[in-house]
Amino acid sequence: MPVRMVESPTPSTSSGANPGQTCLQPCSLLSVGQTFSGTQNVSSPQKEEAWRVNVRIQGCDLNHGYLCGTMEALNVPMADTPVVTFWEGEIVDTKNYTFFTNKWKATSEVDIDHWTKFPSFSPLLSQVEVDGGKSLDLSNYQYIFMRWKEQYFVNVGSDCGLTIAGFYYVCFSCVDGSINGYYYDPNSSPFQKLELKTTNEGRSGFSFSSYELQ
Amino acid sequence: MPGSASTTHRPEGLIQRLRSAAADGGEAKLKVLRDLKNQIIGNRTKKLSYIKLGAVPFVVSILSSSSFSSDSILVQCAATIGSFACGVDSGVKAVLDAGAFVHLVNLLSHSNEKVVDAGARALKMIYQSKVAPKYDFFQEKNMEFLTSLLDKNNENLTALGASIITHSCETNDEQKILGDAGTLKRLINLLEGTTSQRDASLEAFATIIKQNPQVISEFVGPENGRTWGTLIELTKDKYPRTRLLACTCLILIKNAAPSYLQSVGIRTKLILILLELIDDSGQVGDEALFTLSSFIADEESLQKSAFEANTIDRLCDHMQKESLQPKRLEGMLMILANLCSNLECSRSVLLESPKTISIITDALSHATVDVRVAACMCLKNISRSVKYLSAGHFMTEAVIIPLIQLLDDTSTSVQVAALRTISNLVIDFTMHKSLFVQNGGVKQLVELSKSMDSRVRLNAVWALRNLMFLVDSRCKEGIFLELRALSLTSLVSDPSACVQEHALGLICNLVNGSLDSIDYVFTEDALLLNAVGRQLRNASKPEVLIQGMYVLCNVASGKEFQKEAVMHQILPDSSNGDTQSIMVTMLQSEVAQLRTAAVWTIVNLTIPTGAGALARVVKLRNAGIVSQLKNMANDPCLDVKLRVRTALGQSMIFGDFST
Repeated sequence: MPVRMVESPTPSTSSGANPGQTCLQPCSLLSVGQTFSGTQNVSSPQKEEAWRVNVRIQGCDLNHGYLCGTMEALNVPMADTPVVTFWEGEIVDTKNYTFFTNKWKATSEVDIDHWTKFPSFSPLLSQVEVDGGKSLDLSNYQYIFMRWKEQYFVNVGSDCGLTIAGFYYVCFSCVDGSINGYYYDPNSSPFQKLELKTTNEGRSGFSFSSYELQ
Repeated sequence: MPGSASTTHRPEGLIQRLRSAAADGGEAKLKVLRDLKNQIIGNRTKKLSYIKLGAVPFVVSILSSSSFSSDSILVQCAATIGSFACGVDSGVKAVLDAGAFVHLVNLLSHSNEKVVDAGARALKMIYQSKVAPKYDFFQEKNMEFLTSLLDKNNENLTALGASIITHSCETNDEQKILGDAGTLKRLINLLEGTTSQRDASLEAFATIIKQNPQVISEFVGPENGRTWGTLIELTKDKYPRTRLLACTCLILIKNAAPSYLQSVGIRTKLILILLELIDDSGQVGDEALFTLSSFIADEESLQKSAFEANTIDRLCDHMQKESLQPKRLEGMLMILANLCSNLECSRSVLLESPKTISIITDALSHATVDVRVAACMCLKNISRSVKYLSAGHFMTEAVIIPLIQLLDDTSTSVQVAALRTISNLVIDFTMHKSLFVQNGGVKQLVELSKSMDSRVRLNAVWALRNLMFLVDSRCKEGIFLELRALSLTSLVSDPSACVQEHALGLICNLVNGSLDSIDYVFTEDALLLNAVGRQLRNASKPEVLIQGMYVLCNVASGKEFQKEAVMHQILPDSSNGDTQSIMVTMLQSEVAQLRTAAVWTIVNLTIPTGAGALARVVKLRNAGIVSQLKNMANDPCLDVKLRVRTALGQSMIFGDFST
């Protein structure tokens, strides 16, 4: 017997004493050990170019709106080996972080310009313009918005000729684990697009792993 | 030319004089007592030597036979006995064995205040030792006596009363009876007395309020303005010991009743006072370290305040400049451990000081057990940083080798502390886990996973589980060969549910990664897979079931025969009289994570590309699993709801058999 599913496409605006103070619900596709692969478009007006990218989630702490992992760029022209960086993410949960970055040379206008590139952001736009999304309850929204900031190079020196000065605006789909992102660095080509899909290492299905810190 | 020492001042000579003193006149007695007292005051070696020679019973016999002798002799006897008891447990024992206690108590009712003072001081010395007899507060006459001591207008008697409380009050009932008898109020009054009265009262006060919110709410707290104000005031006293004790009382109040001591200003001030007291090179400094450590242990905001007060720099300074006594080093390591339990900024500051890190790693091999444990805790908390684990900061020989050596330690506490540290370090994301394996770490962990001590077993399995996380295929094989399927099977059904949980987490990591990894649970006639299935049918703790279900989920992401093996585990076994699939039970769980794991397993089993997918969907439908999924279409957990949608979508590709 087919049943009708209740859709909840638009997050509600919280009311009451603690607006938007709920942590996001855990999403198993965004848990430690999960891997994603895809590309980052680094095209400039002179040249079409895309790097293959692999991402692995290494840490997740929803209470603090924290996510981290590594990003591996595979066919970087000026590097002999794949370049691995470690990044830390701010999860926009409206409790720890809002849609406004307030750092990394990103003004609220830059923020809005980037977030609006994601179709799933459009229902949130009007409220975000008012308060950065502080009063939104995103706990049941099917998309998770984040900022990923690369912190250091894992396998090459910082003199490798590459920069990690910028950061990514990221939108993760809880439905299928797909990730879209836009790199922002005032000194790099604008709107470099990151597109990743969840990977399964040749399996016919999804596999999970975990660790627990003491 | 040096002259020969007088034989009468040699221990043997003095003993001889003591022996004959009983028959001597008052002057001779007085002289020998004075000589003895002068020799032993502040000299531990001499005290021990005279105790061995049997001096104490002679002194006590003079005291007991001197009821009609001069007050000076009584004073000297009491002072000598007090000196034997001061700071030396064997002295206290000798004094008690010689029956001095009752005679000293008798002195308290003497008409001469000097005699009373000497008796009180000696008894106080006795009560400062842990071998002193426990005072029974439940006897009415004892409570009357204690109250009378505290009511006296005599510094030594009130201090004795306070010492009795500090020594003997241990249980909540004892705290309550003392509170009800008005003892706290009396102690609070004494806080306005002399330094020794203040310190003794503060110590007794701390003993009565320790971990007892009820007593605190009745007698202390900011609403009892006077007490509160006095304690705050005493944190600024000119005597370090008084400041320390006042801080201790305020911290005990906060620990037992967190609603008190909310003021950020006072909290920061206490941290600053304690930090200053740490500079004291004596006992006050040592105690200040442990007081600060316990103050910040469980509260991130206090850790932050301590961090902002430059605690790390100050401690690093001490650690780098001085050669520290074990107690001091332990205290410092404990504070650093607590500062790093939550704060990434603390970890960063420490990791930027290679000298301090090397002091910490050196402390892993310290001769004192407590220092080794504290060093492990410190490293454990520093390594809670995924950022630094990812940078491979800890997987170095300097850290790993001494930790592996500690797994052989004779102290179980050290073994457990080392295991806990290792379980963090082996998460290492830089693919250097082989360093741990090459140095014999796995062999040791496997050995300890068979320990009779459940704490050791749990932490060994925990470490193996974390080591198995994202490990490369070669290491994985090495670990499995060491562990063997049979041992792992017995860990899955260990008497401790926590061990079961981590053993299942370990297997989950084992079958994650390359597709071939799934084969591990099929070795030896699928020993492991059957053990997991059994546990899923028998266990009740959700954490165990979640891990077990994720093992099945991972196996179900494999080849067709592996998916079929999972089906076999989840469908009811009519030969066992099962009527309901364990999957239905899991899907109906109140724990969202368990429902998520169960739905993921079904998602993997119903992926339509598999040759046997249709047959599996039919079986799942017949077992009532698909209809249970339909009931969950609007599950309150978003993750569950989305996976249910996928699972239903996949199973309906083959048609809706219900219509």
